[in-house]
Amino acid sequence: MHMKVILAGTAMALALPAAAQETQTVGVSIPAATHGWAGGMNYFAQEAVDRLEEVYPQLDFVLATAGDAAEQVSDIEDMLATRNIDALVVLPFESDPLTGPVAAVADSGAWVTVVDRGLSQEGIEDLYVAGDNPGFGRVSGEFMTSQMPDGGDIVVLRGIPTTIDNERVEGFEEAIDGSGINVLAMEHGNWNRDDSFTVMQDFLSRYPNIDAVWASDDDMAIGVLAAIEAAGRDDVQFVLGGAGMKEMIARTRDGDPMIPANVTYPPAMIGTAIELTAVGLTSSAPVSGEFTIGSVLITPDNAEDYYFPDSPF
Amino acid sequence: MGDAVTAPLALRDVDRHFGPVQVLHGIGVDLRAGEVHALIGENGAGKSTTMKIMCGFLVPTGGEVLVDGRTRRFADQREAEAAGIVMIHQEFNLAEPLTVEENVFLGAELRRGPLLDKRTMRERTAELLDRLDCRVPPTARVRDLSNPDKQMVEIAKALRQEARVLVMDEPTAVLTTAEVDTLLEQVDRLRAAGTAILFTSHKLGEVKQVADRVTVLRDGRVVHRGPADMSEHAMANAMVGRDVSDLYPAKAAPRGEVALRVEELDVPDHAADVSFELRRGEVLGFAGLIGSGRTEAMEGLVGLRPHRGRIEVDGRSVTIRSPRDAMRVGMVYLTEDRKGRGLLLDKGMRENLTLQSLPDFSGLTVDTAAEERALDDAIARFDVRAPMRDVKVGNLSGGNQQKLLLAKTMLADPEIVIIDEPTRGIDIGTKQQIYKLIRELADEGKAVIVVSSEMQEVIGLATRVLVMREGRIVGALEGDQIDEERINGLQMGLGRAAA
Amino acid sequence: MTGAAATAPQRRDRSHSLLDLHVLGPILALAALILLGTGISATNESTFLSASNISNVLSRSAFIGIIAVGMTFVITAGGLDLSVGSMAAFIAGLVILTMNSLAGTVESVPMLVLVGMGAALSAGLAAGAINGFLVTNMRIEAFIVTLGTMGIYRSLVTWLADGGTLSLDFTLRTAIRPIYFGGFGWLTWPIIVFAFVAVLGELVMRRTAFGRYCAAIGSNEQVARYSSVNVNRVRMATYVLLGLLVGVATILYVPRLGSASPTTGVLWELEAIAAVIIGGTVLKGGFGRVWGTVIGVLILSLIGNILNLTDAVSPYLNGAIQGVIIILAVVLQREKKAGT
Repeated sequence: MHMKVILAGTAMALALPAAAQETQTVGVSIPAATHGWAGGMNYFAQEAVDRLEEVYPQLDFVLATAGDAAEQVSDIEDMLATRNIDALVVLPFESDPLTGPVAAVADSGAWVTVVDRGLSQEGIEDLYVAGDNPGFGRVSGEFMTSQMPDGGDIVVLRGIPTTIDNERVEGFEEAIDGSGINVLAMEHGNWNRDDSFTVMQDFLSRYPNIDAVWASDDDMAIGVLAAIEAAGRDDVQFVLGGAGMKEMIARTRDGDPMIPANVTYPPAMIGTAIELTAVGLTSSAPVSGEFTIGSVLITPDNAEDYYFPDSPF
Repeated sequence: MGDAVTAPLALRDVDRHFGPVQVLHGIGVDLRAGEVHALIGENGAGKSTTMKIMCGFLVPTGGEVLVDGRTRRFADQREAEAAGIVMIHQEFNLAEPLTVEENVFLGAELRRGPLLDKRTMRERTAELLDRLDCRVPPTARVRDLSNPDKQMVEIAKALRQEARVLVMDEPTAVLTTAEVDTLLEQVDRLRAAGTAILFTSHKLGEVKQVADRVTVLRDGRVVHRGPADMSEHAMANAMVGRDVSDLYPAKAAPRGEVALRVEELDVPDHAADVSFELRRGEVLGFAGLIGSGRTEAMEGLVGLRPHRGRIEVDGRSVTIRSPRDAMRVGMVYLTEDRKGRGLLLDKGMRENLTLQSLPDFSGLTVDTAAEERALDDAIARFDVRAPMRDVKVGNLSGGNQQKLLLAKTMLADPEIVIIDEPTRGIDIGTKQQIYKLIRELADEGKAVIVVSSEMQEVIGLATRVLVMREGRIVGALEGDQIDEERINGLQMGLGRAAA
Repeated sequence: MTGAAATAPQRRDRSHSLLDLHVLGPILALAALILLGTGISATNESTFLSASNISNVLSRSAFIGIIAVGMTFVITAGGLDLSVGSMAAFIAGLVILTMNSLAGTVESVPMLVLVGMGAALSAGLAAGAINGFLVTNMRIEAFIVTLGTMGIYRSLVTWLADGGTLSLDFTLRTAIRPIYFGGFGWLTWPIIVFAFVAVLGELVMRRTAFGRYCAAIGSNEQVARYSSVNVNRVRMATYVLLGLLVGVATILYVPRLGSASPTTGVLWELEAIAAVIIGGTVLKGGFGRVWGTVIGVLILSLIGNILNLTDAVSPYLNGAIQGVIIILAVVLQREKKAGT
């Protein structure tokens, strides 16, 4: 192993000066667009690749989308073996299965940027661009407490059972702790409109009074709103989604009382990561380290700044 | 019964009930070493149940099973096999994709350490096959074997288990005449080696040829027991319980118009240049060995296989691409494979009866009342005997299945009826009934074709016989010319009679 | 083969089948679930038996239910269709795009809605015909064909939506909402259509030549062929019928949320197949009953509903509970092994 690293390092050292003007290849590996947020993330990845290929003619980008972790591992192995990539930008499907393959890329001497989900082992990546999941939950919770200073009964829709979801919910629970807000029930809506519609219908059957809903995602918020509307219930004062879907931001901007706010978890972070990687490859500017993109509360006042009409999300 | 003590296997006063129904009443049979014992009876007489009790598939509800004079109670068929009692089923119990040696040692593979000891198994299989004078290589795949060779593999498997008692359930049902002879030779050989053999067959000629003693069952009781020197006629009478001397009804000369004219029918890979005429009121026999293309030619004729050639029905040229087209011009085909292609075994009698003519029973919906009436008629006319009206057809005896299949075919009200193997695996009483029904069809003015491997059947039924060999018609026989010797000569390729 | 032959067997010998678990199994399972729901509802003062909850459960059962009725025919005839979930998503996307693009030119909203319905039905018909053609004429295994079309429709809808969500224009959405939410009080249109499809399906399965042919082909294709049944045509018809019913289900689905996305209809095919089997239809074909399928669908919907009404079970275990109940419902109705 060490031998390999040394050899690779030597090869790099020998090759670099000569290759300064040569084309370098950047691999981008992300999950496929299977739900709204991922769709947005795909859009921003493609957009960043197109833009950066113009700006940096000496960079070549390879973009691969995977339907599951195993497929993503194969994608990365193929990139390393057949394209001999100089840098990898990866948004891991799951942390554990991808740690090994990404470490192998790092061992080959290539630059590694990890986005959103961390790997299981520290120190592999050169750059970590992360969303702030506990922060996402915390900002949401703080908004809830600010809207209901006297407390109230709420229901919570959770995403697909994952670390991300757990971190968000923990952050949320910490923020509302001691505020008098009572969580009646939590169920998984799987970041899916149909599932959240069904879950919300059943919550409405179960509880005669619900003051507010933390839908934790804009796709789920749409399902929740449809269920409330169909039931004709007026006890629910508002629904807080998240992640900043453009339709929902537009409704906040236009002052819809049911959607008073949103919390960002921008899919555009993938674009930031690709851009930083390009900078790191082509210049001597220091870009390694950790780069956290915080979750911001969007209200009618600042909604216009977060409305991107061209994004699919 | 007196010397049952010395018999390797004997049943004494065996009763068997299925629910409230008693199917065996005090059966006593003893199988002696070095003897072939024939168990005969009509379908439903209790032969299968008796054999299953002998081999541990069923336990008796009364009486006892004696092995070497000692009472035994087999929990299952493996225990019976351990005691040297092996059954060879009518439908082969072989794994078709495996080789002969793999089948012979299936479930009892020899090992050397963790690996299979293939060499020893191959040698032992070769030895066993040698003993049976069978020329099949141990490495051949069973699915590539002929029926008698498969039968031999079954027997080799039984020998491998050192069977002292071999129970053979209609071993000759699917064999041709020549194949039967080979099998019977092997039975002789086993007998000489001291094996006790129970043999069942509907072909009384074989029984007479091979058996030392005969037990006749009727309605679950032993009605005759004795040495095999009785005549076939006497055996048949004992089985049926009445005189069956006139097995075949009297023939009548055809008097009608030509209903079907076939010219130069080709069924690729199976039959070529098949031409013949068929008149109303005629029973035309198609003889030939298995594989001579008889069945395929008929399947081509009714559109089940692609074919070329000219077909005229009632003088008009017709195109037949599917059995539906054939039915439209009044022609139906009754398959030789009643279980695989004729009947839905997991459905009731009503659904089976009307499947072919369902459009006649349905407008927007199916008229089940009319179907029930049709079933009443069919049960009465074709004498279908079922324990319950809603019984699954798979649980009917072979004879009753065949009668139901005939009823189903006739429900389509055809003018031209092609019957392939009308009585395969059916007892003599039912055979007589079916022959009578076929004759009645002809007398009603229908045109009938009977395809059969049983030469006696063709001779007994047909007023004219066409013999096929290697996909072609090699001869036509009429009236007094129809005899076993001529048919045999033609189908073996020994001569050519004028058409 | 028993010796006890009766020349004139009893015509009515069905009394025993009333106690038959094969028939009672699914009904018992459904009854047990309803009791369970009522019990849970009594302890936490939720409203399991209220008209609105019953209406919710029945309405949301309608999509899978309508599809499962079609699936019953396909499975009974010895086939299988894995593509229905993606097909529904694709058709939903197609309908939304069609209606959005015509919204500018066609003034009358009812006219637009009719066009949308027409588009859904014809797309379903075509998709079913493609599956049927590949299975019957090209003689490819149904499993492979529909696995292939499943992937195709799923990525087509992802492509149409650019990975995001296709949404109906807001004015149109308000206009068509009543198709899902409207009706006669709690008796909403999805419930009415589902009931209609189920009754009609049961009738076709039990009382028509087509239903009989499906069972015959599933039981033994050769026998059907030798019995002059046009096997290919019947088989084709089962897939076309299923495609058409997927179209009907989509007509009811689109008004609910007014959108379609790559996650629309995910796993519907498995839910539909599970409902069919829970209802007593034989997976390898030869026997099918539509009323059983309806009960199967209700069982599946009720499990989810009841789990949402209680905190007794960790939501992580929802799938396990569903699995256990599905297996139990099928074990309950296992036929005793046929005697000799």
